[in-house]
Amino acid sequence: MIPLNIPDRPPFYEGEKAVVVSCDMITAYGHGADVCWKGIMSGRNAVADIDRFSTAAFPSGSAAMVNGLRYLEKDSLVLQMFKKIFDTPSESVPKDSGLILASTKGEIDLLEKSLLTGEGEASECNLNNLLEKVSQLTGITGEAIVVSAACASATAAIARAAAMIRRGYKDSVLVAACDSVTEFVYSGFSSLMALDKFPARPFDRSRSGLSLGEAAAYALIMSEARARKEKRRILGEISGWGLSDDANHMTGPSRTGDGLSLAITKAMKTAGADEHDIGFISAHGTGTVYNDAMEIKSFKSVFKMEKKPVYSIKGGLGHTMGAAGLVEMIIALRALKEKTVPPTVNLKDPDDDARGWASGNQRAAGENKYGLLTNAGFSGINAALVVG
Amino acid sequence: MISVIGIGWMNGQEYGCILKNIREFYSDGIFPKKKIFPFSYKNIGRLDHVSKLTCAAVALALQDAGIACVPEHKHDAGIISTNVSGSFETDMRYFRDYLDSGRTLSRGNLFIYTLPSSPSGEAAIYFGLQGPLLYIAAGNNSMGNVLKTAADMLIDHEARVMLAGASEADHAFYFVLKGEAYSGGNILCSYDDAMKVVKKELCLREMVNEFLNLRKGITVS
Repeated sequence: MIPLNIPDRPPFYEGEKAVVVSCDMITAYGHGADVCWKGIMSGRNAVADIDRFSTAAFPSGSAAMVNGLRYLEKDSLVLQMFKKIFDTPSESVPKDSGLILASTKGEIDLLEKSLLTGEGEASECNLNNLLEKVSQLTGITGEAIVVSAACASATAAIARAAAMIRRGYKDSVLVAACDSVTEFVYSGFSSLMALDKFPARPFDRSRSGLSLGEAAAYALIMSEARARKEKRRILGEISGWGLSDDANHMTGPSRTGDGLSLAITKAMKTAGADEHDIGFISAHGTGTVYNDAMEIKSFKSVFKMEKKPVYSIKGGLGHTMGAAGLVEMIIALRALKEKTVPPTVNLKDPDDDARGWASGNQRAAGENKYGLLTNAGFSGINAALVVG
Repeated sequence: MISVIGIGWMNGQEYGCILKNIREFYSDGIFPKKKIFPFSYKNIGRLDHVSKLTCAAVALALQDAGIACVPEHKHDAGIISTNVSGSFETDMRYFRDYLDSGRTLSRGNLFIYTLPSSPSGEAAIYFGLQGPLLYIAAGNNSMGNVLKTAADMLIDHEARVMLAGASEADHAFYFVLKGEAYSGGNILCSYDDAMKVVKKELCLREMVNEFLNLRKGITVS
């Protein structure tokens, strides 16, 4: 037996701080973090009818898609999105940066195209090929890896980047994340009865599933020393992280929320944060009955002294799968800056368990130091970040 | 100090572990689950082929490390995996099956294996591994990267024990690594020695032989 424990504060705690110095994203709200923030704050959702493929056989026919993408053409959907955000990066990306690419299915539409039209090789959808393309787009010549951890992929990638910087392995790491709405993925989630026929309603009493979404995003994470030396604007710090697994079920979360609580506790310990330091929680909040109930149960077990403001952005821009953690981190940093907790779009009538925690309205954030982010995925994967 | 305390592996013909010096052949197609798994694995039939190989290699690796597994008990152990082709074979199977149905029905039990992290997810569920679970790919240096990430996680106290390995279509190979927070197990070799072997980019059989050579002279308790 290897007993479970919450580890001591890691030895690198006194090491370099990992700070975010630049970021960008493209979501169904449009191009840019500002557009996404305004979309969420407006309370409007970006879910629309799908016209890329027939959804006649599925119980749902909508998703949150990026306008202007061409399906089953030369470039995959995610490459088209990456080209838009790396075409004019807000700040230069050092060539010697490490690169971590997070995704679940990457360029899976290349496999679809090969099987449907006979064009191209299906094996081109290998994530290593996409990694090479992103390296070329960004000009990064440093070490590059793919991290895939289901719908917690981006969160796990950010955690690895922060760990590399804290331990002094790297002083600059670019985390890029993506996933797209394809027939492959849509049919799969449909077969699992995971999709709501209405736009997803996280934490709502009447929620009945998720809305798929697509996004590509990046964040350039540096050591504080290098960021200051290069006079970079510091958008926030990745202060803590925690990864765990429910070890319970392939597609359903543990009903107890224990696995997520373990990840949250690890993240807070890494950050040196206590309950009072956390101002709000950016939840995974997919809109499925079991995920949202599990998350609230977990939050209640960790935060015993007071209720924390909880929100999910997935009602607005859908579940962007492997990109979700990165999009959510960028929005959480904005929430810290604005001292505002965003509304959970489409949440009208909070479930009994979520009352006093989640809300469809924006709220003022307190003066607390940190925001907490949580994500979960198939195989029982849990991931948590503490950002400040 | 990070040490290797167990190795388990399986391909289509044979399986084994290093410290316990087990190497057995089995009839192709007849999966020797009773010999490998420490307790009943009723649902193994629903797993895809790569997940079966992965769970078998993890079972042998944990057995090699002397880590007892019983149902419902969770371990502070994580698992990191890699491979060459991601989930490509299952992706093809899933989408062809969906197309064959006239694009009306797809099979959820195939879809769940279209994530490259799913085989290690099955291992985490069966063995109660509650630490970090990741899939990493890094071109030609994937195995080295997986081993290094697992070692870093141990140093950073992200888990007491980490499994790290590869789950390919025709074989699986897993290390058990421990850090200072876990006192159990016999040490096969240091992390540095394991990395030297990994960097040779050997085939499965050559790698097994290299580690069997490292084992010589070690008394296993």
